[in-house]
Amino acid sequence: MIRYIIRRLLISIPVLLVGTFLSYVMVTSLGDPLSELRAKPGVTEADVQAAAHALGLDKPVLVRYWDWLTGFVQGDWGTSVALGTARADVYTMVTDALWVTVQLVIAAQVLAIILGVAVGVLAAVRQYSIFDYTATSLAFLMFSMPVFCVAILLKSYGIQLNNLLVSLGLDRWLTTAGPPTGGYTGDLGEVVFSYTGTFLLPTISLMLISFAAYSRFQRASMLETLHSDYVRTARAKGISQARVIFRHAFRNALIPVTTLAALSFGTLFTGAVLTETVFGWHGMGSLLVTAVRQFDPNILMGWLVVVAIAVVVFNLIADILYVFLDPRIRLG
Amino acid sequence: MADLTAPTTSGPRAAGAHEFDATKARSQGELVLRRFLRHKLAMTSLATLVLLIVMAYVGPVFWAFSYEDTSSGSYLAPSPDHPLGTTQVGKDLLALLMRGTQYSIQIGLLAALAATVLGVLLGALSGYLRGFVDSLVNRVVDLLLILPLIGVAAIVIRAISGAWFVVALTVAAFLWMQIARITRGETLSLSEREFVEAARASGAGTWRIILKHLVPNMVGSITVNATLTVATAVLTEAALSFLGLGVQIPDTSLGVIIGENYTQVMMRPWLFWAPFLVLVLISLTINFIGDGLRDAFDPRQTKVRA
Amino acid sequence: MRRARFVSAVALLSGAALVLSACGGGGGTGGDSDVAAMAVAKGQHDGNYTAPEVSDAGAISVSTDKPFTAYNNQTTDANSSYNNFALVQVQIGAFTLNGNNKVLLNKDVMDSVEETSTDPQTVTYKIKKGVTWSDGEPWDCDDFYLTWLAQSGKAKKPDGGTAFLAAGTSGYDLIESVECPDPQTVVTKYSSPYPDWKGLFNNGSITPAHILEQQTGIADITQLKPDGDPAELARAGEFWNTGWRGFKKDVMPASGPYMITDWQQNVSVTLERNPKWAGAKAGPSRITLKAIPDSVAQAQALENNENQVMSAAQPDINAADRLRGLSAQGVTYGAAPGLAFEHLDLNFARPLLAQEAVRKAFFQCVNREEIANKLIGSVEPDIKPLNSLLFFPQDDGYQDVYSDKTKGGAEAAKKTLQEAGWQQGSDGVFVKDGQRLRLSISHTDIPRRKQTVELIQGQCKDAGIEVEDNTDANFLSGRVDKGDYDIALFAWSGGPFKADKKPIYISGGSQNWQKLSSPKADEALEKAVTQTSQEAAIPYYQEADKALAETYGSLPLFQMPSMWAFRDLDRVYFQSYYGTLWNANEWQKKTS
Repeated sequence: MIRYIIRRLLISIPVLLVGTFLSYVMVTSLGDPLSELRAKPGVTEADVQAAAHALGLDKPVLVRYWDWLTGFVQGDWGTSVALGTARADVYTMVTDALWVTVQLVIAAQVLAIILGVAVGVLAAVRQYSIFDYTATSLAFLMFSMPVFCVAILLKSYGIQLNNLLVSLGLDRWLTTAGPPTGGYTGDLGEVVFSYTGTFLLPTISLMLISFAAYSRFQRASMLETLHSDYVRTARAKGISQARVIFRHAFRNALIPVTTLAALSFGTLFTGAVLTETVFGWHGMGSLLVTAVRQFDPNILMGWLVVVAIAVVVFNLIADILYVFLDPRIRLG
Repeated sequence: MADLTAPTTSGPRAAGAHEFDATKARSQGELVLRRFLRHKLAMTSLATLVLLIVMAYVGPVFWAFSYEDTSSGSYLAPSPDHPLGTTQVGKDLLALLMRGTQYSIQIGLLAALAATVLGVLLGALSGYLRGFVDSLVNRVVDLLLILPLIGVAAIVIRAISGAWFVVALTVAAFLWMQIARITRGETLSLSEREFVEAARASGAGTWRIILKHLVPNMVGSITVNATLTVATAVLTEAALSFLGLGVQIPDTSLGVIIGENYTQVMMRPWLFWAPFLVLVLISLTINFIGDGLRDAFDPRQTKVRA
Repeated sequence: MRRARFVSAVALLSGAALVLSACGGGGGTGGDSDVAAMAVAKGQHDGNYTAPEVSDAGAISVSTDKPFTAYNNQTTDANSSYNNFALVQVQIGAFTLNGNNKVLLNKDVMDSVEETSTDPQTVTYKIKKGVTWSDGEPWDCDDFYLTWLAQSGKAKKPDGGTAFLAAGTSGYDLIESVECPDPQTVVTKYSSPYPDWKGLFNNGSITPAHILEQQTGIADITQLKPDGDPAELARAGEFWNTGWRGFKKDVMPASGPYMITDWQQNVSVTLERNPKWAGAKAGPSRITLKAIPDSVAQAQALENNENQVMSAAQPDINAADRLRGLSAQGVTYGAAPGLAFEHLDLNFARPLLAQEAVRKAFFQCVNREEIANKLIGSVEPDIKPLNSLLFFPQDDGYQDVYSDKTKGGAEAAKKTLQEAGWQQGSDGVFVKDGQRLRLSISHTDIPRRKQTVELIQGQCKDAGIEVEDNTDANFLSGRVDKGDYDIALFAWSGGPFKADKKPIYISGGSQNWQKLSSPKADEALEKAVTQTSQEAAIPYYQEADKALAETYGSLPLFQMPSMWAFRDLDRVYFQSYYGTLWNANEWQKKTS
């Protein structure tokens, strides 16, 4: 097992190297971080040159990439290059942003799995019932829904809900501009209130599509197991319906969803970029947009590498989970 | 978002040994067609989609306002003149919507076509040749699965251009992997079969075997996946454009229109809802069509429709 | 999120020094009529400012477009007006500005500032006794000395490079020496007359010298002359350039009403009352300044009472609409002209635009009123096109030199072209010598610019001029300065000094990318920059302005307004350099 993990990680390294190199070249060819300086009255070409030199922008791309790479592996992820950002430390920036996004992704994932599995199992057990058809139609609708539009709608109506709460003499609950700056303070009730108010809408927007996928998957695999020989045998032996469903069918039917969930972390990240943008969270989404806008290779590299590593790790977790859940599979 | 629809497609199917027989294939094609035509939801969806496309392309010819016309007032409410109102600079939203729909559909179709061609060819090549080619393709797939679409697309589109076909091809570059994996799986099992062996023995080259013998036998899963990819591509492009990282003027898309008008969702809801509903309608109908196609190609799966 | 929000239209880089006399009263407009009155500070009296006694206003949350990035805002890397937005309350100076850019002497920390000699020009600052930084160290002459040493650009490293990488040296470079006869007295001598001396040593520009001394081991910074030991200067410069990056509370004391107590990079900076502040205790107990790049999101957060103040330097009609609609909820909205203006530069190097008739016809077909009204009319309802390249309407000396150049619309434009021998082709577009009248407008991918071009396309189509939209995210980085355009659409920020305009408009000037040339304007500009006071220079700038307009070379569109809104508070105004926090210490809960 450990050898397998190590091998998988080793294979990822050249892939990552190629990926970062291509991205670096593309980003540096995008544009000039000093464009704002040029557009300032009274600035001479010499000023621009001096600023470029101070930021190391005057070196060839290959040298810059090598500098970046050697720094990166030693834990120095470089600084932002855009003027006005005071050469902020990329490591801090990316890890701060990552933490924000990971919280959101995990909240959405947990919710999506629980709801998805529950709906999927119910739909399978009551195949062709009204519940089944409703779940199927909803899943199709959610597949066809752009995440960002859902987020926009939730945000707008969330504010209306708050206004309603205020008019009823209650406190505002849902937030539209990210987690409270002072952190979650107060007694337990207040913490829960502000925590749910912060997470509810972004989490719902982000989980809808995964939820739809998981419920469909769970339904399919549940049906498959319900029709399998061993379940039929169990039934024939006179074991109660509930026991058959939960002790026998359910456990095996979980395998595909577990794998899918681990594999979808990358996709959820992309969704999180959109959700965060709408809800004004300062996570990986806003970081990416800033980096691209400012032509900032260091931030973008930090971003790409972190996301890529996260994807590799979650793919690996998917493989490992598979082995634990299904004894028939062995990793080679 | 998008990629999640992909894993729901069918895996390798058992293919009959006689499938290379032309007459047999045709009759099977008829069977598939008949099954599809009977699929009410899919047929309704197809009709709706076709209607939408016809309106998007033919509508502008008859419509009073061009998408370029800024002569109307700012933010007019819906009226007989402007059924969907006007935008900030005074453009007729209906005119914009028809043009945006054209572009969104073009992007979806081109992206799906490119992704399918690439995915099928690379998947079949790597499954048929195995060895070095196989591991090379797998590494490229790994690379693209690791790199987040949204980050790379943002860079590529800024670096090259925001023309609709660039966006479509960029999106395609991230959608072919699933198709390649499925094709590779099917190729692995198909290439063990006698008819492929026979073709190889009679001296057919790699390309001939792939194009003449392997691909026709995978037509079902290819068609279904290609269809679903259209919906995925339309939604992905909308998301990119909404972030301002996708299609750039003079081209446009439904995502661009939503991005420009979403802030009006409470004050002038029609400006948001109109492009939003068209977008949902496009992807919903395509998903239903894909579902209908899957049932038609593989009735065995209907019971366990995922 | 719309693409606009991420991009600032122009560099909102604040110079090291501020424009002073040039700006008279810029009235606040666009909101409630009493918003204009909010530009006046409560504590101002006869050109002086003393923090007024106010009662506790609790914790206030403020949003703006971009994040706070640095404690030392005077370095090239860090300089951004968004840093000033917080530092105005943290680093006190000799002078500050009110909402109308009127200069006020900070009487809480200064006894007096006087011009004690005119030849050589000498300014003497008298600091109040007992003024300290929040760590207890005195705020005195050392700090003024460091400010000058770092920003004069005179100090050199052993390798000859500049020791302190300052964002700007204007003004400080003209100071020959800064002396400290006693800790409370600062004597500055100028090498040549400098009329804008009140723009130096202002709020947000004085960093603590004692911290630099501690961190670098330099015993007394005032003993380190600009031509002193290069190694020592390099050490001081190294700390000044980099030592205040990031958030290190113990090296970032405050001399103003507030100190920085928390800072989450890219997210927010938190200010709390400075217990050692020399003046009256400030109103809000805590101010959180948050970055929300999307102004509609800022408006939503204000509506949702997550923030009590929002401020955007980029006008946004959607946000403005929304904010106006909130007046029933107790939200006050305001807008006032900012420091940047949008304009169209016609490239004289292009054969078509080398013809005056074409330039004139283009000026005539562009309807600036429609553009201004549709694009920012909701932000600032009485918006008018800007009619000068060198002056803002608030400036002394502003005169309208463009209205008569842009009169007539499509009909006049057609006439102009026909008189020059152009003929309308079958598709309505003019043709001469087989060449179609087709012009492209290049700009970066900001929606407002895109919309501007859309409107011009429609307007000029009626005049038989075909306009092509050339959107290029990189237009300002690498294309505009090579003159790679027919017509460029971008903004110049109103630089602190009109002298900065010279390289843009003089023949062969380093920023005259459009190859505009007017001998009359050249002559007037040369004269203007050699005057000793701004008043004396005004007539020459006016002459140049007029001559420039005659060339039909550069068409100013409108001055970009900043907008803001607030709730629960009594008076908030967006100061063009310092943002909404310029008088945050005075804020009170609304009494009604």
